[in-house]
Amino acid sequence: MIRVEYDYVNARVKGMKSRLLDRTVFETLILKPDIDAIITELSTTAYKEELEKASVQYAGISCIEVATRRDFTRAFRNIFKLMRGDESERYIRIVLGRWDIQNIKTILRGKNIHVTATEIHECLIPAGELDETTLIELVKQPDVKAVIDLLATWGIDYAKPLTRNFREFSEKRDLAILEYAIDRYYFESALDAVSGDAEEDQIVREILMTEIDVTNIKNVLRIIRDRIDPEEAPHYLIEGGITLDVTKLQTMIKTGTLEGAIKQLDNTPYNFLAKVPDEVFKSKKISVFEKDLDRYLIRQGISRFLGDPLSIAIPIGYIWAKFNEVTNIRIIARCKTADVPEKELRGELVYV
Amino acid sequence: MVDWGIPIGAGIAFGLGALGTGIAQSKIGSAGAGTIAEKPETFGLMVILVAIPETLVILGFVVATMIMIMLK
Repeated sequence: MIRVEYDYVNARVKGMKSRLLDRTVFETLILKPDIDAIITELSTTAYKEELEKASVQYAGISCIEVATRRDFTRAFRNIFKLMRGDESERYIRIVLGRWDIQNIKTILRGKNIHVTATEIHECLIPAGELDETTLIELVKQPDVKAVIDLLATWGIDYAKPLTRNFREFSEKRDLAILEYAIDRYYFESALDAVSGDAEEDQIVREILMTEIDVTNIKNVLRIIRDRIDPEEAPHYLIEGGITLDVTKLQTMIKTGTLEGAIKQLDNTPYNFLAKVPDEVFKSKKISVFEKDLDRYLIRQGISRFLGDPLSIAIPIGYIWAKFNEVTNIRIIARCKTADVPEKELRGELVYV
Repeated sequence: MVDWGIPIGAGIAFGLGALGTGIAQSKIGSAGAGTIAEKPETFGLMVILVAIPETLVILGFVVATMIMIMLK
């Protein structure tokens, strides 16, 4: 195996980072009156090429969605190509595996509620190991079982947790069972793969553990909102968080209220959750907490740029920064389509 | 009897300078190649940055020459 020259790879990644949109471009996009004006503005940026290609088939918000998705995928494939055949390839595989999980979950959700293949396809981001062709084949399957069977036929690892938990899913018809199973499988196998003492292992492990914390907090809030039996809770929690272990999470669940659970986070990096308005607690609108947690995770991901400039930290920081950019463009485009006032739009943005 | 100390000293002064230049240029060179691949307009700047470590070997050469001339 060849040892990667981070000087070359990271210089290229930093070059790619220099093309990310800055705050002033986002400000301009927010102030644009409609979707066409946003497309015109985006055409002056690095999105020009993908927007031109997408505009042949699509118009309006679909054009932006398709172009951003393709640009996002292309950026990740570029990084993947730069590291192919190298030891560091496995780190990128782990980080990009996040999108594989997200895509499989999207397909399963779509199949579970019988959404059309086109609609499911629109929501996919083929940035991970499962490329667009593979995902299209999965989307074509008639139901959840067929999707899992096809994954198993192809020998894709993610089929294992799904197959193991399929019987329970078919008895209870609760997709959360499969979702938690695949999440747990991903985090456990990823943490196992980066359990060494190497600097690279530590960098990837840290971001994975933060992600586990965020996923666990979201699950705890859902468990409290949906009044799930605390005895069943460990089934939905993933071990290996950076700050919160399963015992602490169970303590949060036992409080039985959102206020009580959030209070338990006082001396942790997640104490920002206590700052949400009281109405959110009363209405049990956990999407507000989820958004704050996503913001935190993205900030943590982007902050990897401050790490060792000759390490995997730079590509990881870029992946998060790109994800943030695409998410924000999509939020702006959707808000403009739905005529959302500027103040609310700014509140919806993940992190500018 | 030949005094080997002077040429060996001059050789070390020049050789280590050259080694340092080589290491620095390899790193700057590969990072520069990455930068130019993404931003071709930085070519001129990269040529200058790759050339900067040459000062190390030039200094080594000067020191080696001084050793040879002054300690003769």
